[in-house]
Amino acid sequence: MAWFTDRHYFLLAVICYGLSTVYSVFLWRKGFRRDEWVNYCLLAAGVLLHTLAMTKRGLTIHSCPVNNLYEATTFLLWALGLACLVYSLLPRFKFLAAFTAPVLFTVGVFALMPSLDPPPGPKPDFSNWLRSLHAATILQAYGAFGLAAAAAGMFLMQRHDLKFHKLRALLTLLPSIQRLELITFRLVGVGFALLTFGLAAGSQLPRHAGKPYFSDAKVLWSALLWLVYLEAIVAYRLLGRSSRRFAIGIIIAFAYLLLTFWITNIYSGLHN
Amino acid sequence: MASGVAPPRDPRHGGYSPFLTRMNIVVIGLSHRSAPVKLRERFAFADGRIPGALQALRDSGLAAEAAILSTCNRVEIYAATALAPDAACAALKNFLVQQSTIGRRDSGLECGTPLPLSDAAVKAPEDWRTPKPAGSSTAPVFSDAILAGDEIYFHAEPHSLQHLFKVAAGLDSMVIGETEIFGQLKDAYELAFTHRHTGARLNKAFQRAFNVAKHIRTVTNIQRGSVSVMSAAVELAEKIFSSLAEHEVLVIGAGETSEKTARALLSRGARGVIVTNRSPERATALAAELGGRAVPFACWPEEFEQVDIAISSTAAPQPILDRAQLEPLMKRRKHRPLLLIDIAVPRDIDPAVSALDNVYLYNVDDLQVIANEYLALRQEEVARCETIIAAKVAALLAAKPPLAADEPS
Repeated sequence: MAWFTDRHYFLLAVICYGLSTVYSVFLWRKGFRRDEWVNYCLLAAGVLLHTLAMTKRGLTIHSCPVNNLYEATTFLLWALGLACLVYSLLPRFKFLAAFTAPVLFTVGVFALMPSLDPPPGPKPDFSNWLRSLHAATILQAYGAFGLAAAAAGMFLMQRHDLKFHKLRALLTLLPSIQRLELITFRLVGVGFALLTFGLAAGSQLPRHAGKPYFSDAKVLWSALLWLVYLEAIVAYRLLGRSSRRFAIGIIIAFAYLLLTFWITNIYSGLHN
Repeated sequence: MASGVAPPRDPRHGGYSPFLTRMNIVVIGLSHRSAPVKLRERFAFADGRIPGALQALRDSGLAAEAAILSTCNRVEIYAATALAPDAACAALKNFLVQQSTIGRRDSGLECGTPLPLSDAAVKAPEDWRTPKPAGSSTAPVFSDAILAGDEIYFHAEPHSLQHLFKVAAGLDSMVIGETEIFGQLKDAYELAFTHRHTGARLNKAFQRAFNVAKHIRTVTNIQRGSVSVMSAAVELAEKIFSSLAEHEVLVIGAGETSEKTARALLSRGARGVIVTNRSPERATALAAELGGRAVPFACWPEEFEQVDIAISSTAAPQPILDRAQLEPLMKRRKHRPLLLIDIAVPRDIDPAVSALDNVYLYNVDDLQVIANEYLALRQEEVARCETIIAAKVAALLAAKPPLAADEPS
């Protein structure tokens, strides 16, 4: 079984996420009417295989597996999947899996591209515990933001159905929109706290001599991301931004995160 | 056993020997489907009269076991009898009519026109072994002008059991899938059981009916959804707000529907109610009835900051709430969700307000559409329920012993 590497485990996990995505489309077409465990089980199987893949990789490199884009992406997805499994245990939140699975699947397929996973160098980059903490915390923050985006998606769908008098709004087993709004805000809050902590830990790491800290693309991008989420929280809590705009903002922010995450990594001297 | 052949009588066992005869469960009665309320009320049994009527029925030798279900929508006698169905049909109809006369005399009501039994009343189904469709009856039954002939229905096995199961599951109810009838049937059975008027046949049939009703409620959507304007409004509120306990209801105009809707919301845990009406006396009276407080009609917009659900049903010819009024109010509410239920005709709330964020406006037509769609969904489930019932009845009949072994003493 030596040929069966951690990437194979991850491939199987992505297949589970794919099956969950297909099933999610079916649930969506049915209007989320039944309390559904099948999707939860598919996602749980995916997260289990995902955990095995990450453990195997971690044991191979003797450090937290966040050394390259593949590892960082899989860590992000793992945080998202695990958080989704936990939140899905809340009453009426099992359908969160249906909104998370498509993200896990599409990003997972992208992470499987071989060029994102070059062979490890002579020394692991993240041998320092602070570096591991910095990377792991920030990736968990991204996971929380992803989950918040999924909850925001549920909110927007349910809000639309209620606003336009669709019977589906009553037939569905989704939670009330007020609860969805609260969960979205809390997830953004948790993600923001983790991001702040992770960035603070990163600021304590050694820097390249003679290079300003904020000249690094990833540092700039992270600061921008922090500001985006700060603006969303402040506008919603203090300036009276409507829940619909808040939800749309959270989805756009996460889309921005997903689309620019890899590019900034590639152009970052500190993170590459 | 041939149709119409009387079984051997045994005085020790209510007239018929349980060891020699095969008991069949039959049902006779009238319901909202077959008879208007003015007729149903003449046949209705008061609870206190049922044990006596059951005793009389068994003493007459018509039935070895019996139970009477009497609700506002139906009066039915379920009986295990050794009589052939055609004879049972005639005799039970006679009994029902006699009891209706007794009931009216006992209760001191005007008897009005008596309900004499004509010769035709004893006309039974042509062949009791041939299954007849549900709701089938013997016609004509009574010569009385009140009874056109098809108000009273009679079913023998297997249709009597199918009917019992349908009644238990709410399939024969006015509002399909309602659950109140389940409790009423249970009470009727328990009353008969307590007075020892049921035996092996009826006990088994009723117990199976209750199990089947529960099963149907679990595996089908027959009970799902709100089929009235009031319950649709409550369901909407529960889809918008996490818990009604944190939300106050404003009733604008003390109409009957808004009162009922407010009551329904309060029963689901709404924090409180504020009532406003052009007539302050009516507002105060309704507020006192609902345990809330009344506010002058001119002041209700000031209450919008604290309420999250508003029910409007005034007789105003023009909208009393429009977008220009609501927009600043929503800002003051910090854009908390607001459910507006406009039951008034003409409408009290300008439809343009629904364009505002966090405002959910439903008028009486919207609620009625929801209720109708739910009802249609329930109708779609009826065929599924009937398939389940047919299978369960077949299983019950297959397990039935060929001869009745016991009956109540």
